[in-house]
Amino acid sequence: MTELRKTFHSELAEVHAELMRIGAQVIEAIPRATRVLLEMDLEGADYMIQGDDEIDSRCIDVEESCYRILALQSPVASDLRAVITALKLTSEIERSGDLAVNICKAARRIYGHDLNPKLRGLITKMGEQAQHLFASAMEAYDESDAAKAAAVDDMDNFLDDLQRQFIQVIFESHSSGTIDLPVAVQLAVVARFYERIGDHAVNIGEKVRYLVSGWMPEHVGAVRHRLRQDPTPVGGIPAPTPDGPGAAEQA
Amino acid sequence: MKTELDKNHEAHRMQGAEGAAMATAGGTAEGSGAVATEPPVFRTEGLTVYYGDFAAVRDVNLTLSPREITAFIGPSGCGKSTVLRCFDRMNDLIPTARVEGLVEYHGVNLYAREVDAVEVRRRIGMVFQKPNPFPKSIYDNLAFGPRLNGIRKKSELDAIVESSLQRAALWDEVKDRLKSSAMGLSGGQQQRLCIARCVAVEPDVILMDEPCSALDPIATARIEDLMQELKKQFTIIIVTHNMQQAARVSDKTAFFTTEFSIAGDRRTGVLVEFDSTRTIFSTPSDERTEAYITGRFG
Repeated sequence: MTELRKTFHSELAEVHAELMRIGAQVIEAIPRATRVLLEMDLEGADYMIQGDDEIDSRCIDVEESCYRILALQSPVASDLRAVITALKLTSEIERSGDLAVNICKAARRIYGHDLNPKLRGLITKMGEQAQHLFASAMEAYDESDAAKAAAVDDMDNFLDDLQRQFIQVIFESHSSGTIDLPVAVQLAVVARFYERIGDHAVNIGEKVRYLVSGWMPEHVGAVRHRLRQDPTPVGGIPAPTPDGPGAAEQA
Repeated sequence: MKTELDKNHEAHRMQGAEGAAMATAGGTAEGSGAVATEPPVFRTEGLTVYYGDFAAVRDVNLTLSPREITAFIGPSGCGKSTVLRCFDRMNDLIPTARVEGLVEYHGVNLYAREVDAVEVRRRIGMVFQKPNPFPKSIYDNLAFGPRLNGIRKKSELDAIVESSLQRAALWDEVKDRLKSSAMGLSGGQQQRLCIARCVAVEPDVILMDEPCSALDPIATARIEDLMQELKKQFTIIIVTHNMQQAARVSDKTAFFTTEFSIAGDRRTGVLVEFDSTRTIFSTPSDERTEAYITGRFG
């Protein structure tokens, strides 16, 4: 077996490696943002906000590399899926970086207000869980591991629960007078940012599954839609059922 | 023999029509994507071709549907042209070639004793790698086949010449010089002329063996475009080294490769995967297909 398109495949490998490096930056940015919020570190917040420009610019470079590969190399099969996955991942990673920055911006807005230990505990947990999800998704990408990628979706439920708990605690803290309304609103938004990072991690997991097998979660919905449009059997064959790996848990 | 091919072809078509009628009666609404499966044009079973005692390609099982373009891809020596030549019995012309297994054309065994190879080639036309117009006028090139088939009337021949050239998208370029030599045409025009000549005898299938490898990109694009028109009427099988061409023009793709024979001494061609072109070029199921089309194998 001889490798015939060395230059092209090394370009693809570089896109993958660069996405992993940008992903690592985001993985680090999440706990930093949590620290900025808990310690009201305004200097740290500025540093993070500026740092995001670097993530943006590197994502754009990856995107342009993908366009160039598509235009010049005519990738097919797994190569094509690799380019498409990389293109989609840039927006997921870039957006996750933005959300970490948004947490820092929220920290600036609630500067000077004390947070009670219950709130602090939940923020820490949400931060850890969001980071864990994002890191797992990137690991699944690195290893092209569809099973690991599918697990990210299940793990996300825990983060969603944490967010709901956190909102509850915000209500309680506000009614007991520990935090005032503007802070309560900002904290609710912060919870949403963590939760969104989790969603982006789930999206990355789905793209990894596409990379490995060509499967897309939307296939299941598309089949359901088709069945609603016309449930009659075709040519005596029963109507198709949503299938493909992972269909059961999606249906 | 002619009657047998005719009979079977008709019976085959009828079967398809009945199938369609039954499907409609069965309540499958039109527009629901219900497509009655027509009987295949070709079906091979355990097709093995020997050159002397060497199996060039072995155990090929394929089913090709009417009015579809099927592309054969694979590295040199994988047997794709050999298999293509089985469909019009061109291998008969190679003294050492021997075909084993079944090749059915509309349900008729193409290699049955009573089947006439000349009649087979009337129904199954072929376009070769290098354009091969006869050293005659454009008109005579096109009228050649119909004349052989006994058509003598000038008005009839004129009509065939025009409609064949129209269908091969060449009419506008040559209508004013039908009497000039076909050899004076450009390479791309010559190849379209060969397609027109093929179409002139109203075949059922057109086999194309690397039809664009000697053409420039514009002439290639013209032929590819033409193929989409032709497939409305004909079943087309194309052998191509250009994978992008296979991806662009075909509905189905068959990937062949070479493997060491059981004896382990020589490489022999095998069919690895046959599926819709979309599947082959996005999510092929065999690792060997994946490796070949992504260039990780050579």
